[in-house]
Order: sequence, then C-alpha cells, then structure tokens
Amino acid sequence: MEVWDLLLQGFATAGTPVNLLWAFVGCALGTAVGVLPGIGPATAVAMLLPITTQVEATASMIFFAGIYYGAMYGGSTTSILLNTPGETATMVTAMEGNRMAKSGRAGAALATAAIGSFVAGSIATVLVTLFAPVVAEFAVTLGPPEYFMLMVLAFTTVSAVLGQSTVRGLTALFAGLALGLVGMDQITGQVRYTAGVPELLDGVEIVLVAVGLFAVAEAMHAVLFEGRAVESENRLSRVTMSLSDWKRSLPAWLRGTAIGAPFGCIPAGGTEIPTFLSYAAEKKLAKSEHKAEFGTRGAIEGVAGPEAANNATVTAAMIPLLTLGIPTSNTTAILLGAFQNYGIQPGPQLFSNSASLVWALIASLYIGNVMLLVLNLPLVGLWVKLLKVPKPQLYAGIMIFATVGAYGMRQSAFDLFLLYGIGILGLVMRRFNFPTAPVLVGMILGPLAEAQMRNAISIGEGSALIFFQRPMSLAIMGLVVLILTVPRVLKWHSERLR
Amino acid sequence: MRQHGPATHSPRLQLWVGIGVVLAALGLAAGAYTIPSASGYAGIGPNFLPWVVSLALLACGAALVVKASRGGFQNMDDHSGEHPYWQGFAWLSAALLLNAALITVIGFIVSCALCFVLAARGMRLAEGKSATGLASVARDALVGLLIAAPVYWAFTKFLGINLPGLTQSGWL
Repeated sequence: MEVWDLLLQGFATAGTPVNLLWAFVGCALGTAVGVLPGIGPATAVAMLLPITTQVEATASMIFFAGIYYGAMYGGSTTSILLNTPGETATMVTAMEGNRMAKSGRAGAALATAAIGSFVAGSIATVLVTLFAPVVAEFAVTLGPPEYFMLMVLAFTTVSAVLGQSTVRGLTALFAGLALGLVGMDQITGQVRYTAGVPELLDGVEIVLVAVGLFAVAEAMHAVLFEGRAVESENRLSRVTMSLSDWKRSLPAWLRGTAIGAPFGCIPAGGTEIPTFLSYAAEKKLAKSEHKAEFGTRGAIEGVAGPEAANNATVTAAMIPLLTLGIPTSNTTAILLGAFQNYGIQPGPQLFSNSASLVWALIASLYIGNVMLLVLNLPLVGLWVKLLKVPKPQLYAGIMIFATVGAYGMRQSAFDLFLLYGIGILGLVMRRFNFPTAPVLVGMILGPLAEAQMRNAISIGEGSALIFFQRPMSLAIMGLVVLILTVPRVLKWHSERLR
Repeated sequence: MRQHGPATHSPRLQLWVGIGVVLAALGLAAGAYTIPSASGYAGIGPNFLPWVVSLALLACGAALVVKASRGGFQNMDDHSGEHPYWQGFAWLSAALLLNAALITVIGFIVSCALCFVLAARGMRLAEGKSATGLASVARDALVGLLIAAPVYWAFTKFLGINLPGLTQSGWL
C-alpha cells in the first residue's frame, strides 16, 4: 500500500540521529512544561517559535510536536500529585487522580495515565496515518466558499460551544480577529490599524499574543491573587499497576480513545467535551463494587478513560490541522503559525507539496509516543522534583523565556512593551473568565478566512449568494446554524418543562 | 470547577469590562472608517472585515454591559483570593517594563537578570515572605544570571538568533 511506503520514508527521515535528538529534546521539554504549573504547551511552543528562522522545517516541526505531546503526559502528573489542576485538559484527570493519590494510590494513577496516553496516542496516530491522506484527497475538491464556511464552523465551535459563555467566547473571537487585522491586507496590500508604528506593518506576532496571554498574564494573576494559595503535594508511591488495575484500565483506555478520536477529527477541537464525556461514561459503566470509589477513594477508570480521551483528541486534531489548515486549539493554532513562518500553508496541498515533511512528522508521532512512555514511567520521579521549584523563581524564570520568545522573533524592544500590554489584556480575560483559544484561533485563522471569503465572492462575481449555491458550503452553513441554535432551543424547552 | 448562579465578584468591575469592549469596538469602527473600500472583483474591499469585527464587538460589548448590570456574568469559575496584591503587581510590572526599556542598552543577560530579581521579589512579597533582604536579592541576581547567560549563549551561538549583547564579543 502506498501509505505504508510513505510512512516508511517518513520513519527514515524522522529516524536520523539529528531528528531523533530533536524529538527527544522536544518530548523531554514538553514533559517538563507539562509538569511545571504556569506554563503549558502553547506557551512553550510559542516561546520557541523564533527557532523557525534558523532551524530546518522538518526538525523544528518534530521538535514542536514533541513538546505538544510531552505536555499532555506531564500535565497529568501535576494534576494527580498537586491539588491544583493545570490546564483544562487535565481537569477531569485531577478529579479522580487526586483522590487516588490521597488514598495512597498515586503510582497506579500515574501508570494508568501514562500507559493510557500511550495506547490512545498510538491508536490515534494510526488513524491519522490512514485517514489524513483520504481527507486531504477530499479537501482538494473544496473551493474558497467551502473553506470559508469550514473556518466559520471552527470559529463557532471554538468560541460559542466550548466555553462557559457564548458572549464571552464571541468577544474573545472578535478580539482575536481584530488583532489579526493589524498590518497589511493580504489581497490589496492596504495598511490597516498600524497607527503609524512601522513595527505593526507586518502585523502582530503570534508569539507575542500567545506568550502575553498565557505566560505574562499567568504570572500577573499569580502575583495579584495566588500569593497565599496553599498547595499540598501528594506522596508518590511505586509506579505500578496490579492485575485488577490492568483489567479495569484496558477497556477504559479503549473507550476513551473511541470517544476522543472523533472529537479531534472534526474542526471543533478542545479536549473538554471528550474528557468529560469519557468520565461520565466510565462512571456509568463501572461495576457496582467500583462505583463507590468514584468521588471517594478515586476510581482508576476515571483516570484511565479521560486521559486516553485527551490524548486521542489531541493526536487526531492533527488531521484537520494538516489536511485543512484549520487549528482547533491554542497549541495547534501556534503550530499553524510555525508552518506559516516557513511559508508553508497546511492544507490538502501539503500532502503533495511537502510530503516528506508531513510523513516525517507523522512518523515522529509514533516515535515520540514510545519516548514519552519511557520518559514518564521509569523516570517519573525525576519530573516530580520539578514541582519543588519555588513559585517566585519559577515565574521569574518564565519571564526570561518570555523575553527570548518575544524579542527573538523580530529583534524589537517595541515588542516587549506590547507583550506587557497583551499580558494586561490576558489578565483581565483570565479574571473575568474569557476563553483564550478563540483569540489565537481568530488571530491566525482570521486573515486566511478573510482571503477565502473575498476569493469566494470574486468567484460569485461579487455576489454573496455563492455560499448558498454550492451544496457543501450550504451544508456547513446549516451545521453552524444548528450548533448555534440547538443548545438554546433545548435549554428553553427544558426550562419550560420545569 | 464551574459555579452556577451569580458571580462571586463585583458586577461593577464587570460593567467596566463591558464598557471597555464597547470603547474598543468604537475605536475599531473609527479605524475602519478611514480604510478605503477599493473592492475590485470581490465586491468587498479591505474595509469589510474591519466593519464586521467592529459591529460584532459592539454587540458583544453591549451584551456584556447588559449582563453585568443584571446581576453579573453567568457560569464564572470560583476565584481564589479576592483581594488583589497591587504591590507585587507593581514589582512585576517594573520587571517587565524595565526589561523592555533596557534590553538594547545593557544587553540581554544583565537586563533579564534584573527582570528576574524584580519579578521574584514581587512574587515573594505576594507570598508574604519577609526574605527580601540583601542576601535574597543577591541570590536572585545570581540565579537570574545563571538562567539568562546559558539561554543567551544557546540562542545566539547554537540557534543563530540575534539577542542584544552588552559588548560585541557575543558572550556578554
């Protein structure tokens, strides 16, 4: 089969000593940033984006993918051992994992999280291998109207569906779109919103926005509100699982994968929904003698399922990113930015124009999963030591790396002032519960969506009716309308019944 | 986790957030007004999306104002610590702004070490620790240098990324 030939070639590229080293460093760094509170995969990749100006594309994409994956493994370690869950993706893991750790079963929780991540990640990578080329082949037939509608779909799901409030999600989305407007218009070269500042002609750097919204805002929030917060750390026990743990985990991993993978494939990412769904499924399906452990001593299924769902979603999210060029989370949005720095636009052409890069990246996902299993099972004790870094030094150190990322991209001190401003914006958003993913997705996808929209209307000879005349575009539009209206109708209906 | 019902913190501040969004939208609209609409084949020009974004943000801002004045935002997370510690924030701000102002003057390593000292001090004060004497400043300065210098070397020597130095030697 052709796919396997291509994959083998990918392994040959990814398996060179230099690329293996990049993958290893990426996985190790990713695990570290996943473990450390206050810094996540999106921030880490963003801070390191300046290397795209020097390092070759394949090597740096392998490196970034390693960070992306590693952080998922590392994040679960923190949420199991600390009482403060890191990112939303690991929030569900924290619920049961923390209880297991409190009752002395931290080792089993860590083991089921790591092995479950490996199982789900590997299965999802096989799905990426098999389906990404198929989706790419299909995507070639899509024109600007369909693309524009797909992007609108991504905007809608990221902002209106995933968050806690539609209005706040949409506000964040339009703020991101506004940031994306700054600079020169792609089609006419018209300058917009630069206020005469020459640095802004090229637009606002994505590094700045990501590092400002996450790292700087996080540090500001910590210094303002979390100084006195007390953290307790659970004791680490031997990382091993008993036979009954295996028996209970295995089906949970598979169910988690089955729930998570489809969510990653559709351009409607976010790991919140699949992890919560998996948790609910495990709780419902648990045998009666284990049901009592949920919410009390901690049930191992409640860690295994969501953790697998999380990794399956994250891995499968590579499919829309690579084949359609549509990011559905903070980190994939920044990965898209990394591709753009190389002048590569992910999309259906990627599989024909940059085949060796794509297949090396996919092969590195297999390799990275194995590396991460080794890094996280026997060596977990090493990572746990990172939790001992005192907060002041941790946040102050993150500020140094934030400076590297923000300054290194364009060598401009102006960007550092802008970074502070975006940090304040992030602080306000954080304080008032505005989601951040819509900002980044809007900012990166916005200019692309605008170009597709204008091209589409050009095709329609100046008429927006083109979006209604093509069946695919009309179908996606219908989906967007359903997504926006159905939850409201259901809510109204259930309130009326009460 | 999520908490339903009225928010735990002041709807008055939320009102200001809503007003801020409205003002930003008006600013964007003023900007959109100045962008020419040379549309070509597309029928819509470079000022189309700016107008859409301005109007949408205006609507969002108005909705936020309405929500804030009717009992506050819904579905807010629980907040830890309701009293902001502005003194620590001032130290952190000084760290970041001085770094921005000085990085091209005194070089990456020294500027970042200074940023480290100030930021660490702010966080330490926020934790209520009194260890802010000369010894702790000296220790922070040392740690800051030990982080900044290798980072500088790694990025400039191995990755070829330009960061400003104090001297032309490339090592400091």
